[in-house]
Amino acid sequence: MTSPQDPRHPHINGEMVREASEREVRMLAEGNVDRPEEHVPGVAIPAQLEKLLGFGRSFSWWPLLFGLACCAIEMMATAGPRYDMSRFGMEAMRASPRQADGMIVAGWCSIKMAPRVVRLYEQIPDPKWVLAMGSCAISGNVWDTYNVVQGIDSLIPVDVYVPGCPPRPEALWQGLEMLRDKVKQSDHAYDRVRVIPARAAIGE
Amino acid sequence: MDSTVEQISDALKSVFGKLEEKFGARLLGSSVFRGELTFLVAPEDLVEVATYCKAPEGLGFDRLEFLTGNHYPERIEQPFEVAVQLTSMATNDRLRLKVPLKEGQKMPTLSSLWPAANWCERETWEMYGIEFEGHPNLIRLLTDADFEGHPLRKDFPVRGLVGGRIRTDLKGKI
Ligand code: SF4
Repeated sequence: MTSPQDPRHPHINGEMVREASEREVRMLAEGNVDRPEEHVPGVAIPAQLEKLLGFGRSFSWWPLLFGLACCAIEMMATAGPRYDMSRFGMEAMRASPRQADGMIVAGWCSIKMAPRVVRLYEQIPDPKWVLAMGSCAISGNVWDTYNVVQGIDSLIPVDVYVPGCPPRPEALWQGLEMLRDKVKQSDHAYDRVRVIPARAAIGE
Repeated sequence: MDSTVEQISDALKSVFGKLEEKFGARLLGSSVFRGELTFLVAPEDLVEVATYCKAPEGLGFDRLEFLTGNHYPERIEQPFEVAVQLTSMATNDRLRLKVPLKEGQKMPTLSSLWPAANWCERETWEMYGIEFEGHPNLIRLLTDADFEGHPLRKDFPVRGLVGGRIRTDLKGKI
C-alpha cells in the first residue's frame, strides 16, 4: 500500500505527485525552464484514485505478445489452458505495444534485436512493467558471446526477475504475482529511475 | 577410396563413374563415408561441375540442400572449405561437393544455378569471410549491419567481443 510517507510518492496537500526526474532537476538548476509546467510531464493524481487504478490494472495486466527464445515456450505454456494466466486477467497478450501494459522478456536478446526491444518498450504507454524471464534475459546466461545482450536490464528498466533456464510456468506465475503486487501499488521500475539504460548509454 | 566405394549404392556408383569420366583428373579427390559420396572440387571448376550435377541430362541433382563453410586452422595451406550438399528429387540420392580454399581466396557463386544459394552464401561469407564472386547481394545476414569480423572462424574470441554489457552502439538505431 502506498502511504503518504512513502518517499517514492511525495504528497502535496494530500495529493500524490511524482518526483522530479534527474533531467528536470538539472533543467531547473540550469534555469533553462521557461514554462516549467510544460516540461514536467507527470500528472498529480489523488492517492485514492491511484489506488483504485492500480487495483483495476492488476486484474487486467496485458503483456505484450513477444517471445525471444526458448523461454517463450514456457511463457506460452503459462498462457495455455493448464496454467491459464487468464484467471488473473492476463490472457489478452496484445500484439501491439500500444495496447499492452508491459512486457515479459522471455529469452535471450541478440544484439540485432536490442534496438527493437527498446523500441517496443518505449511504445508501451506509461505505466509499464517489465518482467525478465530466464537467465538469458537476466544476465546473458552462458552466451557470453559476440551476439547476445548481457542482461536485458542494460537496455530497459526491469521490475521482476524470474531466474531459471527456462523457469517453469509456476516460477513465471510467481513472478507475475510479484508483478501484480507492484501493479497494485502503481510502483514500476521506470518511475523510480526515470532513465532508460539504453538511452543513457548513448547519452540521450 | 576404392575399397570404400563398394559401400555406396549402385545409383551413387554410377554417379561416381560419370563424374570421374567427365572431369577425371580435374577433381581433387573423392571419399565415401557411411555410404555418402563426397567430391573435392577446385573453385575454378565448381560452376562447371555443379552445372553438370544439376542438369537433367547430366546427373539430375536438382536441389541444393545447403551450402556452408568450415574452418580448419590445422590445415596450413587451405584452412577453409565450402561444402555443398545436393539432392536429387527424382532418385533421393545425395552428393556432396567440397571446395578447399586458401585464406582470402574467392570462389564463384552458385546463386545463378540455385537461387537458394543466395542466403547460404551470405551466411558463409558473414561467418567465415569467404567471398563469393558474382554474388548479387553479399551483405550480412544474421549479425548487425555494422558488425566486424567473422565469428565462426576458430580464431574469433569465444567470449564477448567489445566488452561491457551493451556490446553495440545503439546510436541512431533506437
Ligand atoms: S534461460 Fe534457458 S530456456 Fe531461457 S532463453 Fe535462455 S537458454 Fe533458453
